[in-house]
Order: sequence, then C-alpha cells, then structure tokens
Amino acid sequence: MKNRLKILRAERDWTQGDLAERLEISRQSVNAIETGKYDPSLPLAFKIADLFDMAIEEVFLRE
Amino acid sequence: MGEVTEDSKPKYGLAIFWGCAFFAGMFGVPIIGRYLEWPQTAIMVGMLLAMSLLVPMILAIAKQGAKDGSVTPAMKAYNRRVLIWSFAYGIALFGAITIYNEYTPTGLTLWIIAVFPAIPILWSIWAMGRYLAEEKDEYIRARQVQNAVFATGLLLTLATIWGFLEMFGVAPHVPSWAAVPVWAIGLAIGQLTGKLRSA
Repeated sequence: MKNRLKILRAERDWTQGDLAERLEISRQSVNAIETGKYDPSLPLAFKIADLFDMAIEEVFLRE
Repeated sequence: MGEVTEDSKPKYGLAIFWGCAFFAGMFGVPIIGRYLEWPQTAIMVGMLLAMSLLVPMILAIAKQGAKDGSVTPAMKAYNRRVLIWSFAYGIALFGAITIYNEYTPTGLTLWIIAVFPAIPILWSIWAMGRYLAEEKDEYIRARQVQNAVFATGLLLTLATIWGFLEMFGVAPHVPSWAAVPVWAIGLAIGQLTGKLRSA
C-alpha cells in the first residue's frame, strides 16, 4: 500500500528515528512502512494518522 | 541522520564470521577430539569454549541491530536469555555426562540425569514464546514469526528426508534432540536473509 509518510515526515523535518520515537516503534519499522515493504496494522495506521493530525486515508492511499 | 539509506546498509559479516566459528568449533572439536583420541573432558571443555563464541556473535548482531534501528527491549531480553540458556545447557550436558561416566547411575536417578540437559533447551523454547509475547513492535514481530515459520519448514523438510534416508539404510541415525539446533540454524538463516533482503 502506498503512503505519504516520507513527505509528511520531511515537511516536519523529522528523521526516521524521530518518527519512530514518537510512534514508539523501531526505526526499521518506519523504514519498512515508508518504503511500502510493510503495511501497518489498523491501530498503528490510526496512530500514525493521529500523529500527523490527519484522516487515515490522507496518509495511506489506495493502490 | 537516522535514515536507513543505501550507504548505511546493515553489515552482518562479523556476526556471520562468529556464527561460522561457533559451528566449526561445536562440530570440529568432537570430530578432531575423537580422531586424536582426546579424553572426553577435553572435548567437553573445547565445546564449552566453542560455545562462548556465541557471545561475540550476539554482540555483533546487537551492535548492527542498534545501528539499523531493529533492536527492541524484547529482543535484548531474548538475547540475554539465549546466552544464559546456552551456557546452562553446556554445563548441564557436561555435568550429566560426567555423572553418568563416573557413577553409572541406574533407575530413577538415570532418568533424571538423562533429562537434565533437556531442561535448558525447554527454557530456550519458552524464551522464544516469551519474546513473541513481549515484542511490542509489530513489524519486527511479524518478521520474527516469518523466520520461525521458515525454520519450522526447514526442520520438517530435513527431518522427513533424513527419516526416509535412515529407513532405507543410506544415512546414519540422528538423535531427536538435533531438532532444536536445526531449528535454530533455520531461524538464523531466516534472520540473516531477511536482514539482507530488507537492506
């Protein structure tokens, strides 16, 4: 699944480590989600959307 | 900073080196020992020394894991438990064989002595289950479950093939306790290939 995580992160000038810390997950998980290697669970996807103060479909895009 | 980029690809060469040294020692010491007719105590001490190579291997994995951001608190606890049970196993096996050779126990005592080395192995199986329960990072957990499934598939494949080879008399008997080391090798292969794939 495609997502806008990298752009949203760059807009806030956050590193993958910064985002990982905010989401309480590993940096490798952030990398896997950003590069589309891993689709997060619904609770984690909501957590990501909440962090950016956005709706979930504004972060994760349909193929 | 903090990005997993092309120039910061995980490097597991050192961990692979120590892993190979560990297996070479664990298999090499008893083979060379029997060939040169070393006393059993010397072989056991040699194998315990070979087992200590797990320490630099786990440290190398942990160090690289810290660099690529894949080490979690649950993983640290698991690594610590793995080291403890590995040494406990070495000591339990050494103790059981020594008691068996020196005192030739029989009956219930023999049963207890025979089962003794299995206890740390059962602890290791518990540690894996505990790790999966404690791991809060869903991506890392999913990857470890994948590795465990790969290891199980490898073990079932090898056990099935070997069983038939044994039945038709073309392969020597392998004791059933070999299941755990084979599974652990499968887990290590899964982890390394997974890390290299995600690099």
